Amino acid sequence: MRRRRRMLEELDADIREHIERETQDNVERGMTPEEARYAAMRKFGNVTLVKEDVREVWSSVWLGQLLQDVRYALRMLRKSPGFSAVAVLTLALGIGANTAIFSLVNGMLLRKPPVRDPNRLMVVSSKWAGNGGEWDRLPVSAPDFLDWRAQATAFNGMVAANFDDYTISGGTMPERVSGGRVSCDFFHTLGVAATLGRTILPGEDQPGHDHVVVLSDGLWKEKFGGDPGILGRVIRVNGNSHTIVGVMPRSFRLWDFDARMWVPLAFSPEELAPAARNTRFLRVFARLKAGITAKQAVAEMDTIAQRIAEAHPDTNKGWATAVKSLQEYSIEDGNVSTALLFLTVAVSFVLLIACANMANLLLARSLARQHEFAIRAALGAGRARLARQLLSECLILSLGGAGPGLLLAYWGMRALRAQMNWNEGAVSLAKTIQLDVRVLVFALVISAASAFVFGLLPALQVSRTDLKEGLRSSTGGRERHRLQRLLVIGQIALSLILLTSASLFIEGFLEEVRESAGFNIHNVLTASVSLRGLEYYGAPHREAAFFENALRNLGNLPETESAAVTSDLPFSFPNEKDFEVEGQPVPKPDEQPRCGYFIVSADYFATLQIPLLQGRGFNSSDNSNSSSTIIVDRAFARRYFANGNPIGRHLKVIEGSGARDKWMEIVGVVGDVNEFLGQRDSRPHFFEPFQAYPSGSMNFVVRTRSDAAGFSDGLRRAIWAVDGNQAVARVRTMEGVIADAGQGDDLMAEMMAAFAGIALALASIGIYGVISYIAGQRMHEMGIRMTLGARPNQVMRSVIRSGMSVAGIGVALGLMTSLALPRLIAASFNGFHASAVSALVAAPVVVAIAAFLACYVPARRAMRVEPMVALRHE
Amino acid sequence: MLQGTRDLLILRTLLPGPRYGHAIAKAIEFNSEVVLQVWSTDHFIRRCHRQIKRSWISVKEGTSENNRRSKFYRLTAKGRRPLDLETRKWDKLAGTIARILRPAE
Repeated sequence: MRRRRRMLEELDADIREHIERETQDNVERGMTPEEARYAAMRKFGNVTLVKEDVREVWSSVWLGQLLQDVRYALRMLRKSPGFSAVAVLTLALGIGANTAIFSLVNGMLLRKPPVRDPNRLMVVSSKWAGNGGEWDRLPVSAPDFLDWRAQATAFNGMVAANFDDYTISGGTMPERVSGGRVSCDFFHTLGVAATLGRTILPGEDQPGHDHVVVLSDGLWKEKFGGDPGILGRVIRVNGNSHTIVGVMPRSFRLWDFDARMWVPLAFSPEELAPAARNTRFLRVFARLKAGITAKQAVAEMDTIAQRIAEAHPDTNKGWATAVKSLQEYSIEDGNVSTALLFLTVAVSFVLLIACANMANLLLARSLARQHEFAIRAALGAGRARLARQLLSECLILSLGGAGPGLLLAYWGMRALRAQMNWNEGAVSLAKTIQLDVRVLVFALVISAASAFVFGLLPALQVSRTDLKEGLRSSTGGRERHRLQRLLVIGQIALSLILLTSASLFIEGFLEEVRESAGFNIHNVLTASVSLRGLEYYGAPHREAAFFENALRNLGNLPETESAAVTSDLPFSFPNEKDFEVEGQPVPKPDEQPRCGYFIVSADYFATLQIPLLQGRGFNSSDNSNSSSTIIVDRAFARRYFANGNPIGRHLKVIEGSGARDKWMEIVGVVGDVNEFLGQRDSRPHFFEPFQAYPSGSMNFVVRTRSDAAGFSDGLRRAIWAVDGNQAVARVRTMEGVIADAGQGDDLMAEMMAAFAGIALALASIGIYGVISYIAGQRMHEMGIRMTLGARPNQVMRSVIRSGMSVAGIGVALGLMTSLALPRLIAASFNGFHASAVSALVAAPVVVAIAAFLACYVPARRAMRVEPMVALRHE
Repeated sequence: MLQGTRDLLILRTLLPGPRYGHAIAKAIEFNSEVVLQVWSTDHFIRRCHRQIKRSWISVKEGTSENNRRSKFYRLTAKGRRPLDLETRKWDKLAGTIARILRPAE
């Protein structure tokens, strides 16, 4: 730095010295002093320029020129506000959409679970590979867990948890909450401490010492008002007294294993019996020892599982283990990463289309600016310098787009968060969608990157511009037209692909669902009630009485049209039972027919308005004494009584225990009800009367006369009128049940539709821009044509033809690619069905119409041009 | 003029020992009229500054032969590399051109 200043300060002296010496030499050669001085100056050259150049040598050139470029670019952009506004808006859409989706990816895939050293916290699961697939996320039995813990050396700690729903009561309204029975070193192994009080102590997992409970922050605040003096209070968990000893921090939500309270896990003698190896209900967490890799742990667990399988073949044959980090485990769950991949590809298409638009705009503009560039080149600007100038303009536009883009992204995230409400997991995921530093950096990086993507072509073009050509006139280059057409073709193809996939998603995920539920989904309120753990436990007649009384209370309310209970709601997978069909050969053991079943009260079909197709529904005579009646659905009738009338035929339902196996008469056939969204082929089910098979865990379905959601309190009161200690959980409308079953599929479809809409709009702007540009270029030609007698219509047609030929190629390319989409989507999403035909026909038509409109407007303008004006143009 | 030639001439002139600014220009002029026709003094100053920045040559204040304070330029160790490189390039080019011009020899 100091050297730099000195060199510059002495520069004048240096120059003077050179000139003086030269003058002296010249004088010695015999010139007059004046002549000598002029000759020396002449020989020296350009004094000002050399000063500037030397300054440039010593200044940090790059920064100085960059600032200069930026200043110049800003001036240029201010001079064409229309162009700048379109550019900034286009980029804002692209960057905003990408940033919003990245915030989703960031929230769902890149986040870490809230435990110490999360990468080393493993989930160890049972793995079973059988006919038709491999399941590696299965729970673990208590004896297996104890053996693993005793034998594994790869871990510092191994803990188990049994996650289930628990009824808490005592003092306040009873409530059913998700909770966990956990090993006493559960929190220690996870590496989280309580914010208030303590977690579970060693020894508290012994029977008799296990009457403590740790609350989640959420439960503490909701149920106990965040009372800091809560410690020591006694609440009832499933009817047993537990002392509150601690409250966990707010951040402690264990993703897939989220719970609202934790009690010690004390194994009962039944859970430890040899046969209990077959009862797999535990989730096992383990922390890798320092220096041990996940791979080594997997290998060790494999050996251990093999040893156990050999020692206990009757319970463990074919069972292995799977070890995954908690993060891996959670991400694999469901379609999250597939859905995110689709969304990411979709938004990157949107950004690409935006970039293509920008490149097109810039190409057109750089033609208009050719003169300017030629003058700058003539004044000494190098090609690299011109290209860099253009790139810095792009960068500024891009960053200008990033601002409003972030705003758009912020709104998008807010909308996303509001939409992610289909269940507790989604709500907790929604909380992770935030505009954090990573998201901000991402927005900056993609805007800089896209500046290079869309600026590169025009910059290359400029650096290739012929100086003389540029100074002379501005006839459009053929190559430039070709480039612009190529860009438009790409845009159209991409937006067609987006539109096709969006319509596939909409068809597969949205409409299908709403239409084919199989019953009237409106004005139905549901709630789940589980009597387990209360004094009803194991007393079937008391359980039955409870629900009958509650149904009677509900029936007496003026808001209720009809009410019933069912073991499972529609849009869920019911439990399955084996059965035999009368008169059909008894199958081999592994071909035993098996299907899902519902236990329902008499008014179930009437309440949901599931059509009765044949025979009769249940009535009060189908009670436990005479219970030998059963109802099947249409899929069942079709599968097992393809050619005959099922009414009056008999089924033997195999209950497992053998005690209740008996022939049951089919008295009715009802319509099919879906188990999951978008289901095409209904699976067979049968229905058993509740009175005959009372259960302690049922769902209420109530058809209300008016708004179902408003009846929530009425429903609760009717149930509490029977038993004030009974928790009423998951009170949802049937629409809510369906949205829950959708797991955000509808959100996914809506997002794809939004992206396709943006893409189509951007592509249309692109076509419009290029066609009006080409039409403008051909104005002269058209003037001549019209003077020679061409009719305006012909001129218009020729403009439209030139645009539509480009659009046609784009549509053809997009369509060819889109043909693979239905299969790709169906392979990526379970239960996805959509007739691809309508999407593959509709989407190209929509794109073609958009393209036509985008051509039509500039073509009309071209048609209206006065021949003389057109001729004078140039 | 070929790229790098100016640098080469300056560096080569400094190979025998340090010289002051104007003397370098003079030496080049003296040895080659042709070069100087396309090379005015401002080019020389520009190249000098660039080479100083790249540490190919170093500057020192000194007194010239007629007792005037002047700047002496010296070839640095770092400057020998480009000198070698450019010299070799030139030899090769000159040889090639010579072969083309006098193919018979």
